[in-house]
Amino acid sequence: MENLGLLFDFGLPLLILMIAYFIGSAIEKRHFANIRKREDDLHGFPVVSFDTMPDDWKVSSSNLVTGSIVISLDYFKRVIAGLRGLIGGRIKTYEPLLERARREALLRMTESAREQGYDAIFNVRLETSRLANATRDGKGTAGVEMLAFGTAVKFASRFG
Amino acid sequence: MKFIPKKPREGINVSDVHPLVEAGTLVVGLTAIFAIIALALIFIIEIALYFVPAEAEAKLFSGWLPEDLVTVSPADERLYQTQLLVDRLASHWAEAPYEFRVEIDDSDLSNAMALPGGLIIVTQGLLDQVESENELAFVLGHELGHFRNRDHLRALGRGIMISLFFAVLTGNDVAGLGIKTADITLRGFSREQESRADEFGLAVVYAEYGHVNQASRLFERWQATNGDASRFVSYLSTHPEAGDRVANLRAIALRDGWETEGEITGLSW
Repeated sequence: MENLGLLFDFGLPLLILMIAYFIGSAIEKRHFANIRKREDDLHGFPVVSFDTMPDDWKVSSSNLVTGSIVISLDYFKRVIAGLRGLIGGRIKTYEPLLERARREALLRMTESAREQGYDAIFNVRLETSRLANATRDGKGTAGVEMLAFGTAVKFASRFG
Repeated sequence: MKFIPKKPREGINVSDVHPLVEAGTLVVGLTAIFAIIALALIFIIEIALYFVPAEAEAKLFSGWLPEDLVTVSPADERLYQTQLLVDRLASHWAEAPYEFRVEIDDSDLSNAMALPGGLIIVTQGLLDQVESENELAFVLGHELGHFRNRDHLRALGRGIMISLFFAVLTGNDVAGLGIKTADITLRGFSREQESRADEFGLAVVYAEYGHVNQASRLFERWQATNGDASRFVSYLSTHPEAGDRVANLRAIALRDGWETEGEITGLSW
């Protein structure tokens, strides 16, 4: 009976932590594979951060394109990050998460530009914001939004 | 300017550390730090106990109550009678530095606690269970024993440590911590502290009544009615198992030749 109490107090959170870790890692691995494949597909599509167009770009039309993703932390990452928060340093479990968010947002933006028949994007910017969780007085984090936006252009004549 | 397409480079923004390695390092490191802090705190409390006399402690904590204690009405007859009983028992401890205060906690769990400044908390659940004044007197005498050995301060340090640990784990604001009864029920005394308190409690009961009859009867009843269930309770409770205590008390009475038969005093409510 005594062991049962201990099991409930410590075993249950540990089990949830393990499940969160395995599911979270599987999802992350799949997402990275997916990102790499799509990046390969888009290889050669110019996406640049210049705020003015290069002089030799002759364009016929332009438009704002955006791509955004809202991504959530898993329980395992959150717990480990919480421990890291006690002593400081790189929150290593969050780094892949935000890397995924950045690359996914850029991909979505680029894919949207290509679908609309544009040839390149310049003045690309990334913005991020935290989504507060309604519980715990808004102190918790439900997830982060990563927004990529830029000016998509259609070339008047093929360059290069 | 020529545009040369390049693929994003990997491994710049992401540390090449396996998440489980990161988790392991943090857990082991923080546990070590926590253990060091806990040891330091125990050491500091021992030093404080040496330099802060009980009189100063009594002054410092006079009028203090735990934050979330739900007390019964001050006009409650049982509160008045229990206070009288404590005063009578304390009179056998001649040089007692405390002015003992009794509060009744509105809880169904059967428990009694010794808190800083001579505060004794008894739960409603305990008062419902005791059948004679002798039974109650032993429980109160036991708490007096904790005061005499100043176990209550050591346990308080442990309680603070435990609540700090949970605050850190759950990410609560450490600065906003108060001493709550939830923390007090989490703390425990060591087996040795308990048996020393039992010994003092029994001595006080003997001094008051001239015999130790029924002093351990409450535990005997627990032992009889709960059986195996008491094991689960003892995991949560702050006191050792009933069976061990009954045997221990018998041994003490036998050793000191205290009369185990005598007239039982009924409860005065």
